[in-house]
Amino acid sequence: MKALAAFWVRFLTLATFVTIAGFVFVRGQSPTIKVVDLIPASLSGETNQDSEPFLAVQAVNPEIMVASAFTPNPFSANGNAPVYISEDGGNTWVLSAITPVQRMTCDITHAMPTGENHPRGDLHAGTLACASFITLDESESNDVSTSAVMNVQSTRTNVDQPFVRALGISNSDHIYVGLNDFNQPSGHTATVDVSVDGGATYRSVPIEARKTSGQDGPSVRPAVARDNTVYAAFFGWRKFSGTVATSDVVVVRDDAGGVGPLPFQALKDPSDKLPGRIVVKRVSIPWSNAPTLGQERIGSTLSIAVDPNNSSTVYVGWADHGSKGDIYTLHVRRSTDRGVTWSKSDLPHTTIRNATNIALAVANNGAAGLLYQQLSGGRWVTHMVQSRDAFATIQDVILANVPANVPAEQFLPYLGDYDYLLAVGNEFRGVFCANNTPDLANFPQGVTYQRAADFSTKTLTDGSGSPVAISIDPFYFSVPVKP
Amino acid sequence: MNTSRFFLAGILGVNLLGAAALPQSTSNQAALAKQSSIVFAGTVSQLGATSFAGVPKSAQTIVVRVDTVLKKPSAVSLKKGDSVTVELKDPSAFQQGTQATFYTEGWIFGSGVAVKELGHRIIAGDVASAAAAGASEPLVDQTQNQVTDQELQNRLNAADFVVIGRVTGVHRWTAPKSATPQRVSEHDPDWHEAVVEVQSVLKGAQVKGNKVVVRFPGRNDVAWVHSPKFAKNQQGIFCLNRDQTSGMSTEKVGGHQVTVYTCLGHGDSLPMSDAPRVRSLLKN
Repeated sequence: MKALAAFWVRFLTLATFVTIAGFVFVRGQSPTIKVVDLIPASLSGETNQDSEPFLAVQAVNPEIMVASAFTPNPFSANGNAPVYISEDGGNTWVLSAITPVQRMTCDITHAMPTGENHPRGDLHAGTLACASFITLDESESNDVSTSAVMNVQSTRTNVDQPFVRALGISNSDHIYVGLNDFNQPSGHTATVDVSVDGGATYRSVPIEARKTSGQDGPSVRPAVARDNTVYAAFFGWRKFSGTVATSDVVVVRDDAGGVGPLPFQALKDPSDKLPGRIVVKRVSIPWSNAPTLGQERIGSTLSIAVDPNNSSTVYVGWADHGSKGDIYTLHVRRSTDRGVTWSKSDLPHTTIRNATNIALAVANNGAAGLLYQQLSGGRWVTHMVQSRDAFATIQDVILANVPANVPAEQFLPYLGDYDYLLAVGNEFRGVFCANNTPDLANFPQGVTYQRAADFSTKTLTDGSGSPVAISIDPFYFSVPVKP
Repeated sequence: MNTSRFFLAGILGVNLLGAAALPQSTSNQAALAKQSSIVFAGTVSQLGATSFAGVPKSAQTIVVRVDTVLKKPSAVSLKKGDSVTVELKDPSAFQQGTQATFYTEGWIFGSGVAVKELGHRIIAGDVASAAAAGASEPLVDQTQNQVTDQELQNRLNAADFVVIGRVTGVHRWTAPKSATPQRVSEHDPDWHEAVVEVQSVLKGAQVKGNKVVVRFPGRNDVAWVHSPKFAKNQQGIFCLNRDQTSGMSTEKVGGHQVTVYTCLGHGDSLPMSDAPRVRSLLKN
């Protein structure tokens, strides 16, 4: 009898241990993973579709961060479009209307290098203002905490999707803005705006060297290493049917910060000796400016990341039609020789069906991070994957797993044409957008809401107890880098 | 010497305070209220302070405990008892315990609300009086898409035409090859045209043939989310500008080349119920 009791005690103890260990292992949980809904408590009544997030981290003081989304000015149609600012490492955020755009941007990305020694947030932003004309502003704030409106340094019309990366070098900020510039001649629209004087002057560098369908794809993505090596990836559109782009995925490189007489021409493709290495040739990319992947549109999903300490190693990720039956499939390839040669096929675990919003980053120790959002079983599942061995073995953390059919789309993009990932010290930090139902089951790593939310009844409130409809919110996260 | 200085300062202070305390003209208050996005009555609790982290503290900032909320956007959480940071135009008019109605615009939103003062009205008496003063003005809880009078006034001023009309037809417009080349972008407007039968012109010259062509984006992209979309038989008030956006400012209608208009902004298409408001604002 005693022996039987002892057996059951041992069995139950072991079962409990296995259950706990299994839970922690399966979820890949770490007590230091942080997920925070950016909407502040004082805007608990908002129901906007705050989609397409972006994040900048102050290089010398990573407690200071700026995030953005398609969040309108909360009090005025004539007021400035706001950004979210954190001064405590992402635990709390305020909304401050500092962009030069009226009401709401229709594209915004930004970076915070510190070459100019503005330790409280030297923010460089590329914004699109969409009124009668689409206008690009390249602007700067020397201290994001002052709430002063950003100073516009350069402006022009007829461009698309500015994507800002920056590097602080000695006493100046080097800024690289990838964009699709319809002002460029001969349909060579893929362009990088380069500034090596903190945005005081910009030089527009077309990076397409081949014949296009009349233009390149919208996404042009720079990546900067600490040694001043700058890469840029773009979709070289060779044919466009209206619903499908036949596209090369092209990577260019510059070894001196993009300031020489022939910038971004360090890589030549062996097939035609032209600048720009073709990573994959003539892939089929569906173009659908309507709800297609769940309620999201698809057509231009691209990311590039360089090892900050070893600029020979560079990753590129994109989405295309994939195999038969797929809507949109992600792929990641890698080069370890400065973009000269690339892996012939997708890295292991990186052919990901029915997914979008790929964002890559490489940490100081060489760990590669991969953020993406996958439509699976009627839900949007946000994954943060890490690997130390080119994705041969991976750690996959699910940050959010939310219903994809609610709320109804207010406009496109539903979640964003991109999200964003950065490596900061021993953390991967990033932002994504998701349905904001306060349900802990939707956030396997846990979540912090600043806005008023009742997790027991899974309802949002306006701060006075009245219910608020579910909407799309931006979420900040931090995940420790795999040692 | 010091005594006389204090005496003089005291007289000035009383006069200034008195002037501030005097009820301003109703029209001034109404104008201030229209301009303001957040209006509340409250009691000053701290000078040179802020109510939450993330707001830059200065001599201009004070903390006010809210007694009554009179106007706010629906997205903003603000209620009696909350502490609000107010950046003042002139902090010398306030001391701890001062009760006033604050006419403000939003500034920073975090764990609390910070606002910038546009104007104020000092309330004499106690908190109950402040609340009573507040209670005499109705709570305006603006929905996020509601066009304020100020915004509408600006829009009416900028419009070439303001008409009351009915949409008789809608069709997709394809730019001819001679127009500015259309680029493929997720912000592509996917231009559509609405033919609007003009029933009355509220601003601008009479329209030949009583019909105008209005070009509008059919795409539900973020760039055009605030642009009105037109449907057949829709009736309303439309603020129109000559088309400088699509690349072709005229169109052939019934064999005649006619000017094409756009109606792109938030609040450029209004329901008929707004007619009295529009007529009133056009008189200003």
